[in-house]
Amino acid sequence: MRNILVRGVAAGAIALLSLTACSSERTGGDATATSGSTEAAKGFPANSLIGVALPAKTSENWVLAGDLFTNGLKDAGFQSDVQYAGSSTTVADQQAQISAMTTKGAKVIVIGATDAAQLSTQVEAAKQAGATVIAYDRLIKNTQGVDYYVAYDNFKVGELQGQALLDGMAKKKAKGPYTIELFSGSSDDNNSAVFFDGAMSVLKPKIDSGDVVVGSGQTDIKQTATDGWKAENAQRRMDSLLTSTYSSKTLDGVLSPNDTLARAIITSVKGAGKPLPIVTGQDSEVESVKSIVAGEQYSTINKDTRNLVAQTIQMVKDLQAGKTPEVNDTKSYNNGVKVVPSFLLPPMIVTKDNVVEAYANDPNLAPLTK
Amino acid sequence: MSRVKELQKSLFGGTTSNARQFGMIFTLVAIVLLFQILTDGLTLNPGNLISLVSQYSYILILAIGMLMVIVAGHIDLSVGSIAAFVGIVVAKVMQEYSVPWFVAILIGLVVGALIGAWQGFWVAYVGVPAFIVTLAGMLLFRGGNQYIGNADTIPVPEGFRTIGAGFLPEVGPNTGYNNLTLLLGLVICVAVVVREWRGRRTRREMQAEVAPMWISVIRIAIPLVVVVFASLQFAGGRVGTSFPISGIILGVLVVIYGFVTRNTAGGRHIYAVGGNARAAELSGVKLKRVNFLVMMNMSVLAALAGMIFVARSAASGPQDGIGWELDAIAAVFVGGAAVSGGLGTISGSIVGGLVMAVLNNGLQLMGVGSDRVQIIKGVVLLLAVAFDAYNKKQGRFSVIDSLMRPFRRDTPTGAESPAEAGQERGKSPVAG
Repeated sequence: MRNILVRGVAAGAIALLSLTACSSERTGGDATATSGSTEAAKGFPANSLIGVALPAKTSENWVLAGDLFTNGLKDAGFQSDVQYAGSSTTVADQQAQISAMTTKGAKVIVIGATDAAQLSTQVEAAKQAGATVIAYDRLIKNTQGVDYYVAYDNFKVGELQGQALLDGMAKKKAKGPYTIELFSGSSDDNNSAVFFDGAMSVLKPKIDSGDVVVGSGQTDIKQTATDGWKAENAQRRMDSLLTSTYSSKTLDGVLSPNDTLARAIITSVKGAGKPLPIVTGQDSEVESVKSIVAGEQYSTINKDTRNLVAQTIQMVKDLQAGKTPEVNDTKSYNNGVKVVPSFLLPPMIVTKDNVVEAYANDPNLAPLTK
Repeated sequence: MSRVKELQKSLFGGTTSNARQFGMIFTLVAIVLLFQILTDGLTLNPGNLISLVSQYSYILILAIGMLMVIVAGHIDLSVGSIAAFVGIVVAKVMQEYSVPWFVAILIGLVVGALIGAWQGFWVAYVGVPAFIVTLAGMLLFRGGNQYIGNADTIPVPEGFRTIGAGFLPEVGPNTGYNNLTLLLGLVICVAVVVREWRGRRTRREMQAEVAPMWISVIRIAIPLVVVVFASLQFAGGRVGTSFPISGIILGVLVVIYGFVTRNTAGGRHIYAVGGNARAAELSGVKLKRVNFLVMMNMSVLAALAGMIFVARSAASGPQDGIGWELDAIAAVFVGGAAVSGGLGTISGSIVGGLVMAVLNNGLQLMGVGSDRVQIIKGVVLLLAVAFDAYNKKQGRFSVIDSLMRPFRRDTPTGAESPAEAGQERGKSPVAG
């Protein structure tokens, strides 16, 4: 039996010898790990791989962003790898996709996070492998690994929504008090609270003065949250609110953080056979623009995804050329461990009054407004 | 005896019920090689192997428990919710009471055990079908996760992250590789050699036919090459990364549970219950206790998997665990377990899980979108189980079997069974 042992060990030794010739990442890894920052300053080849990891296709916006990234990066001469998280195991999917992009040697990874607090391990690994990480639309939390953040000014979005809600109600009914309901986004999305706080900065003084009344009394963001930004959850909550609070009262307005939820709220109100309240929105989704033109949804926000994607691609180009990308805010966005340099684009409110001008340059939306 | 037949008998364990499992291993190898070519060598690159292990170890841990549940003739739909519930409890406990992370892990396992006892009680002692009990558990603990966590994402401290995102540390002289990973590889190599040697000794003592020497050499050489290659790859990753801690946890569990299900009376009772519960009970198997322990064990493993995922994600979130039960169940069935219970092995399920993992990873490396990945995984699952069903209908037809049929007559049937006890590819004695 010793014979076998000897042979086995011999076979192992031969295998070991033949395989030590295998490439090890150690030396290369060392170089990129130590010179990571200087390398970013030096730029990288113009045909490098750029990874884009986006959340599941739950809103038109993400689908559009994906298409724009694919085409925009191709036009700029980069190779692109644009991935959406799967519909059920979203977080794990996105983690795996970011790891795969790192493995493929992506120089820049643009991430629209599904859960902004659950990506730090992958983001740090990407960073250590020499990639630059740009948080797109949602700020990635609790990690040193994020280099830049590019988004629309979301507090401003909230303020505009709050103001639009007040204006819309004043147009319909000259004098208050107005009865409203509040909806906010998914609580795992960093932006939900920012929208909500922005809107409340406008609404709170009116609520305090009694000019505006929240019918159900649900003013806490925990109570108003819509899990996963899902239309069905908003519709369900609106159904219950209508049953519990508005069997006799009239609802004047609903603060909705985006268009998908706004339409769900309108569907719910229609289903209950009630008069439509003023409903705000955001994202300029096709169905909502139609709805605004038809006079159902009151407002949306034009955060043209084209501009945001174009700005992100501009950052990628700057990095490729070895320049430091332009940022316009180095104070506001703290992700828990660092203040992330940000580029914020200004949002624009759209109602029936300015819908034609607002989408004049948008090939998909312009025809709808005629 | 012809060499081909010797190869079949000694290398593959000799019977047709193993054909499927070896089919799976060949499928795994084929898929790995296919993606290695399609991705220009990225699949077997150190960085990718490392992320592959850390991405899927929690699913494979679930598959271990799920295999035992399915072999016993049940199903567990609640694992994802239990994982999420334990994850949020552990994260909360560490955040609010600053409990040290290793105590938090213990708390997590205890919570898992309590949940398991709750589900086991309903299944074993009240007699509610496991499908219903765990469907209820799925809702119950998902709700519990949201109730405790307020649908928030709660970060966990650095120490805790080791179990999900940690690696074997760098120690000893600079060899250009991670020394501990090399050591681990060496230990596995020695274990492979020793096991083969002991297997031969046992056969000799039992007066059984000992396989020819060249068979033993093959049986040692192939795993050695694989292990040496793998340990060099894992040890050769970026500095600071090496074989993931979660992979080691998985490995230890596979060895322990593999031994328990194959070589202990308690383990065999699970197969007996799944094969024919009535007959098992009449033969003295404590049916209720087996069912209780199997369900409880699943929940403990789900708790562990949940904690590993939370550690890897650096936070516990409201979407944790969604769809995990399906991944684990898919791994078990792709790995050759029978839907009717009583059949299946731990190693088979791990291979099944790896097939799905490599498929997923390879497609992602190629940049295939998650929509098409899901379609492909669905088709693979269906085909794997369809193959199983077809086998049954054909009286266990298999490709290898049909090729070997002409040689069948002179098989010394008596010599096979004791010999196989020493082999790993466990088959159920009560396998229908």
